[in-house]
Amino acid sequence: MADAREAHGGVGTAAGRGRRLQAGVSSHVRAFVRTPINVVLLIALPIVMVEGYGAAMEAFPSLPFIDTAQMVEMGRVNGAIYTVAFFAGVLGLFQVISALQADERLRICGYSRAELFLSRLATVVLGTLVITLVSLGVLWWSTPVEAPLAAFGGLALAGLIYGLIGMLVGAVLPRALEGSLVIVFVVDADDFLSSGMLDLDAAILNAFPLHFPHKLFRDAVFEGSVPTGDVAGGVVYLVVVLAVVSVLYTRLTGEGGVAG
Amino acid sequence: MSRSRLGSGRLATAFEMGLREYARTPVLLALLFFLPAYFVGIFVYVLPASEVPITIPGTGRTLVATIEVYGVLLIPMMAALIGGLAGLFVMLTAQEADGRLVVAGYRPVHLVLGRYALIAIAGLVAVGVSLAVLAIEFVPERVGWVVVASLLLALTYGMLGTLSGLVLSRLAGVYTMLMLPMIDVFFFQNPMVEEYHWIAAYLPAHGVIEVATDAGFTSGVALDPLLGSLAYFVLAALLATGAFYRSLRV
Repeated sequence: MADAREAHGGVGTAAGRGRRLQAGVSSHVRAFVRTPINVVLLIALPIVMVEGYGAAMEAFPSLPFIDTAQMVEMGRVNGAIYTVAFFAGVLGLFQVISALQADERLRICGYSRAELFLSRLATVVLGTLVITLVSLGVLWWSTPVEAPLAAFGGLALAGLIYGLIGMLVGAVLPRALEGSLVIVFVVDADDFLSSGMLDLDAAILNAFPLHFPHKLFRDAVFEGSVPTGDVAGGVVYLVVVLAVVSVLYTRLTGEGGVAG
Repeated sequence: MSRSRLGSGRLATAFEMGLREYARTPVLLALLFFLPAYFVGIFVYVLPASEVPITIPGTGRTLVATIEVYGVLLIPMMAALIGGLAGLFVMLTAQEADGRLVVAGYRPVHLVLGRYALIAIAGLVAVGVSLAVLAIEFVPERVGWVVVASLLLALTYGMLGTLSGLVLSRLAGVYTMLMLPMIDVFFFQNPMVEEYHWIAAYLPAHGVIEVATDAGFTSGVALDPLLGSLAYFVLAALLATGAFYRSLRV
C-alpha cells in the first residue's frame, strides 16, 4: 500500500513534494486574486506610479546632478522601481502574516517548514515577476529602454530583495499595521535616497537594499550597459537576505513571531 | 444623567479604550516614535550641504539649504504616512467591536470621534518626533504653523485611510495609503519645482505644503491656502464617516 502511494508520488517522494509545493503556491495565488481589487491594483498601480512620477518630475528645475533632458524619464524609472519594491515588500509581509496560523496547521498535517517556506517564497517571487513585467511594460510604452533584459533583471532584483525583506518583517513582526509601517518607512527612505535624484556620497547608502538595483536599472534603461560590479553586489545582497530570511522564517514561524 | 453628559462620557470611554489599545501594543508605540526618527535622521545625516532654489509663497524664488527644504517636507510627510496608516488600521481593527457597541447602545458618532481622536494623537506623535530630530540641523521659522499644517494633513490622510480601508480591501488600502503621501508630498508639492503640475492643486497636501514652506522660511505666514486644505479634510471626513456608518449598517 505504502509502495503504491510512493509510486504515485506519495508524501516523501520528490514528485509528492513538488505537488504539495504546487498546491501551496496555487492556493496562495488564488487567495490573492480572489479579491478583484488586488488584480486591478496590479495593473493600475504601475500605470499611476510610473506616469505620476514622470509628471511630477517634469516641473523640477535644473539641478547640477541630474541631466535635465531626462527629468521625466528619470521620474518614470524611479516610479517603476518604487512600485516593484513596494508591491513585493507588502506582498511578502502579508503572505507571512496570513500564513502564520495556517502554516502551523499544515505543519501538523505533515508539511515540513522548508516546504511551507518555499511555497510562500514561490508566491512572492511569482507576484514580483508579474509586477516587474507590468511595470517595465508601462515604462517601455513611454520611455525607450536601451537594454530590456538587463532592465527586467534590475527591476526584478529590487522586487526580490524587498519581497524577502517583507517576509522577514512579517516573520519578526506578524502584525499588519506595525509591519506595514516598517515596510513603508524603509522603502520610502531607501527609494528616494538611492534614486540618483540627490547628489549624495555617504558610504552608508551602499548598504541600502535598492542601491545596486537602482544603479543597474538606470544603466540598463539609459545607457544599455550592465556594470558587472553592480550585478555582483546586487546578487550577493539578494543571497545574504535570502539566507537570513530562510533561517529566521523557519525558526520564527514555529513560535508565532517575536511580536506575535 | 443628562443626554449630553452621557454622550461625552461615552466619547471619552471610546477614546480611552483606543488609547489603552495603543498602550497594550508596545511594539506599535515604539514604532510610532522610532520610524519618524529614523526617516528624518537618515535624511539629516546623508543630505548634502548644498543649496537649491525653491518657491516660497509670497516671496518667490529663493536659495535655501537642501536639508532645510526636505526638513520642511519631511514633517508633513511623516504626519501623512502615520495618519493614513492609523486611519486605515484603527477603523479596520475596531469595526467588529464597534458594531457590537452600537448594538449595546453607543451612538456611532461617539465611536467615530473617539477613533478620529486616536488618529490625531498618532499624527501628533509623528510630528513631534520628526521636529525633535530635525532640530539637530534646522528649526522652522514658525514651528507652530508647521505643526498645525502637518496635523491637518495627518487628519486628512487619516480620513482617506479610513475610507480606503472601508471601501477597498486591507491590502489595497495599504498600497494606496503608502504610495499616495510619498508622491503627493515629495514630488507634486515639492517647492523646488518652478511651476506646479496641474494635478498638484487637487492633491491633499497642496495647501498644507504651501503653509509649511511659508512657515519654514518666513515669519509672516499667509494662511489662505489652509482654507482649501480644511475643505479637503471636511470632504474626506464626511466620506469616511459615511462609509463607517454604512459598515455598521445603522
